[in-house]
Amino acid sequence: MTGKEKIIAVLNKEKIDSIPWLPFAGVHAGKLKGYTAKEVSTDAGKLIDSLREVNKLYKPDGQPIMFDLQIEAEILGCELLWSEDAPPTVASHPLSDVSDIPTHIPAVDEGRIPLSVEAMKAMKAEIGEHTALYGLITGPFTLASHLRGTNIFMDMIMNPEYVTSLLEYTTRVANAVAGYYIEAGMDVIAVVDPLVSQISPAHFAEFMDKPFSKVFDYIRTNGAFSSFFVCGNATANIAPMCMTKPDSISVDENVNLAEAKKVTDSFDIVIGGNIPLTSIMLFGTQQDNMKNTIDLIDSLDNTDRLIIAPGCDMPYDIPIENTIGVQQAVHQTDQIRAMVENYECTEIVFEGELPDYANLERPLIEVFTLDSITCAACTYMKASAMDIKKHFGDKVDMVEYKYTEPQNIARCKVMEVKQLPSIYINGELKYSSIIPNRAGFVSEVEKCL
Amino acid sequence: MADFEKISELMQKGRADEVKQLCADALAEGVGPKEVLEKGLLSAMNIVGEKFKNNEVFVPEVLIAARAMNFGLEVLKPAMVDGDMDEIGKVVIGTVKGDLHDIGKNLVKIMLEGKGLTVIDLGADVSAEKFIETAINEKANIIACSALLTTTMTQMESVVKAAVDAGIRDNITIMVGGAPVTQKFCDSIGADIYAADAATASDKALEVCTS
Repeated sequence: MTGKEKIIAVLNKEKIDSIPWLPFAGVHAGKLKGYTAKEVSTDAGKLIDSLREVNKLYKPDGQPIMFDLQIEAEILGCELLWSEDAPPTVASHPLSDVSDIPTHIPAVDEGRIPLSVEAMKAMKAEIGEHTALYGLITGPFTLASHLRGTNIFMDMIMNPEYVTSLLEYTTRVANAVAGYYIEAGMDVIAVVDPLVSQISPAHFAEFMDKPFSKVFDYIRTNGAFSSFFVCGNATANIAPMCMTKPDSISVDENVNLAEAKKVTDSFDIVIGGNIPLTSIMLFGTQQDNMKNTIDLIDSLDNTDRLIIAPGCDMPYDIPIENTIGVQQAVHQTDQIRAMVENYECTEIVFEGELPDYANLERPLIEVFTLDSITCAACTYMKASAMDIKKHFGDKVDMVEYKYTEPQNIARCKVMEVKQLPSIYINGELKYSSIIPNRAGFVSEVEKCL
Repeated sequence: MADFEKISELMQKGRADEVKQLCADALAEGVGPKEVLEKGLLSAMNIVGEKFKNNEVFVPEVLIAARAMNFGLEVLKPAMVDGDMDEIGKVVIGTVKGDLHDIGKNLVKIMLEGKGLTVIDLGADVSAEKFIETAINEKANIIACSALLTTTMTQMESVVKAAVDAGIRDNITIMVGGAPVTQKFCDSIGADIYAADAATASDKALEVCTS
């Protein structure tokens, strides 16, 4: 089963043997190729290059093209504050002082929509056969808040008719953009609306039910699947969100996934989530990420109608090996559960002997992998080491240590190997997670000859 | 007799004009402005804060209650005399440099004011230097920094460092919060207090100012 088939089967509420994995690599994709957040948000070539790398290293079953809630707002007159390591932020709200209802609907050739569409078409052609592609649009409420600013909250009580009219407009915008992205080949349209967590279920029913139902209906009618992404503590709004009939919902770590899943299960809707972005993915170790993912899966009553994903858009600087750890835990759950148990077991003593690195006969390349067969990044890392071995022949030694063996875990502890996959030359860490380029690797080995 | 419960109930619902009228009525009956403030408005804001923390009310309800509180204050403030407005403590608040998100910061400000604390709001995109300069000039007890982004939360460390460099670190409490911020992060940058929500932030700030 391809990743795409897995995502589609789950969204069709079919039972499958494994859990699909959906890494929300927005601007983080750029990190994989050394591009800044701004570069991948404004340059189609660099974006496509980065998305290709995400697909290669993170083995996603589903993959978003852009995670940028400012695309529509920018076209509609919001100024943006750009950043090198985060998506842009809306800096001004054109309707903050006037209660107007705009009429302009973004065209397919306006603002950064062409960039997004170009990347969608390119990725559709390159990876669309095996990976489900997600087109993300700004939800009607968050778009309304971009236009109106925080006054929108007060308006909900003091000027409800205005809010209703503004949401009718932003719903038309959402449908137009969803249409462009479906046309560009997206399998799933994700309606991203973080602000939904900031209002009561009563306000949701009063203002949001109709707009969101309309958007999901439009997506369904046009032949794509839909997802409702929310950030923050949306616990109280999970049921109202389900009532707008998306195919799936995605939540962040502020929501208890096991409890929320009981609700989404009762509506026969898929839930996605919710690896903690900061405490685990950004600041945790690879071990933390694997353990957290296993614990998350184990906390659930069942793994039907489930997609494992980060809580929200991944921070730019998440260590690559952490995402690889999560991916392995989703795809090889039993194997990683055993690894984590072994790692936590303090009784495993390293029984071998470390090489005498200072007095080796020839350079020694050691490749530490989670499992070079199932982990894509590990496969590439090992392949690059094998290529180097072939290049130098008998002049170098090469060995792989798979983390699946308890003794190899013990070896990693002794050598203080923190990230997998990694390559060490003569006992020194040279490459971690990012696959080395051949010329650089050759020259590193030559230094040791 | 002033009906504090009624004031509180209406304020929680955001019925600003009625709150203003009831505050005026209470003063006309001879009730002291400080008593109306504490038993009516501030106690109502405490309830709103608790409900917000427990996910019973949300952002619109807090903002509308704060508006009603301000309507009440408009009537009470002119009636106050020296001694009624003893300053409990002063907080300089802002969203850190590079970050424009201010909903959370505004909620904290509302809750701090609801505790009777004086708040200097520097807005969003505030540099470490600005926090420190204002804290010194205003003789503040607390600097409260907010960040919504993982990329801007690191600015909080600059605020801590700037306080050290300015020689005021021992005299100022630095409080941090925002979606990506955790207790662990707070500890790692050497800040003093982490608060997970606006109500907790105001409780902790009051504790600092009254201890």
